[in-house]
Amino acid sequence: MDKKITVYTRTTCVYCTQVKKLLDMKNVSYDVVNIDDDAKAEAHIIEKSGARTVPVVTITQGDDEQVASIGWNPGALMKAVA
Amino acid sequence: MGEITKEAATDKIHDVIMIGAGPSALTAAVYTTRENVETILLEKGVVGGLAAITDWVDNYPGFAEGVSGMELAERLEKQANRFGADIRYGEVTGITDGKDYKTVHTYDGDMKARAVLIATGSDYKRIGVPGEEEYYGRGVHFCATCDGAFYKEKKLAVVGGGNSAVQEALFLTRFATHIDLLVRSTIKASDVLQKDLDKAVEKGQITIHLNTTTDEIIADDGKSVNKVNVTTDGTKTEILADGVFVFVGLKPNTEFLHDSNIELDEIGLIKTDKGLQTNIRGVFASGDVRSGATAQIASAVGEGATAALKMREYIEDDERTRLY
Repeated sequence: MDKKITVYTRTTCVYCTQVKKLLDMKNVSYDVVNIDDDAKAEAHIIEKSGARTVPVVTITQGDDEQVASIGWNPGALMKAVA
Repeated sequence: MGEITKEAATDKIHDVIMIGAGPSALTAAVYTTRENVETILLEKGVVGGLAAITDWVDNYPGFAEGVSGMELAERLEKQANRFGADIRYGEVTGITDGKDYKTVHTYDGDMKARAVLIATGSDYKRIGVPGEEEYYGRGVHFCATCDGAFYKEKKLAVVGGGNSAVQEALFLTRFATHIDLLVRSTIKASDVLQKDLDKAVEKGQITIHLNTTTDEIIADDGKSVNKVNVTTDGTKTEILADGVFVFVGLKPNTEFLHDSNIELDEIGLIKTDKGLQTNIRGVFASGDVRSGATAQIASAVGEGATAALKMREYIEDDERTRLY
């Protein structure tokens, strides 16, 4: 089953930029959800991750969205997308 | 940004490896690459360093109205890339001095270079109280520009009394209904920031608590922070806060050097001579990680330029020595 990777970001978050660079470097395709003006997405990712921070990277297979990494955590991120 | 490939981690001897990709190293890279000195930068965190996560930089020359830290970092990176700087993600674990080259050890393999620049800067210190690590990201934060917006219409506490704490507390007033500024002794921010802080206090946006130690960060439900226990002049009190942002000073990023025989001062900053060379010939240091640095972006940038010129001199001298 195809995996969909999503990066939840904010405009002013440099760690979000860094996560996207890391995924680009690994040639991993991903969707970006900027939560700045998206209260629904913000509430969703707070509930999903239990954290009030970005970036959060999730991997979705079918209807199952799992958190792969929270914040700048290159080790966890690399492992999750390997 | 690239990664440390097998090619990079083989026997090839690079001209210069820079450890870190903050303003100092990026500036040094502009100078070296513009002179055709092959340069690789290894960054384990964010390109632009702490400067990149600063919401606004008002005292960097050339920006009359100020500039966001993120934009400044992006501009520096773009300029370094323009001349061919090779910025890679990688974490360095040590440096070994050899007869003909330096070996930079990383988790992804060893790399060799004729000269090395250490420009790893510093990170925000932790306060080391219960709750700080446990609730990291769930109410405890170290980056206001990343996480401040999660606290719209909420109450916050900011720990610290220096420039960073005051600047970030002022930034957080955009979101929070009220901020308690918890200051261990007195405010040590610049006059400009102090004036802005006074205005925020007058408006009722910020309350300053001097002589106040932060004792514990608490989440009654075990999930989300809701209060902070503090001691002010010996009296214990409780401050309600939905989130806590910590800016209590900086610690140098030099832990990876502990087995590298590079001389550090008593707080862990790298000692250099006037030419920014460490006690190991061919290994230089610049920016916030250097003993005697002023922890200003403009100074770090100046030191980066100096280090680049000194490294070029070192490489040229080294070549001459080999010829004769």
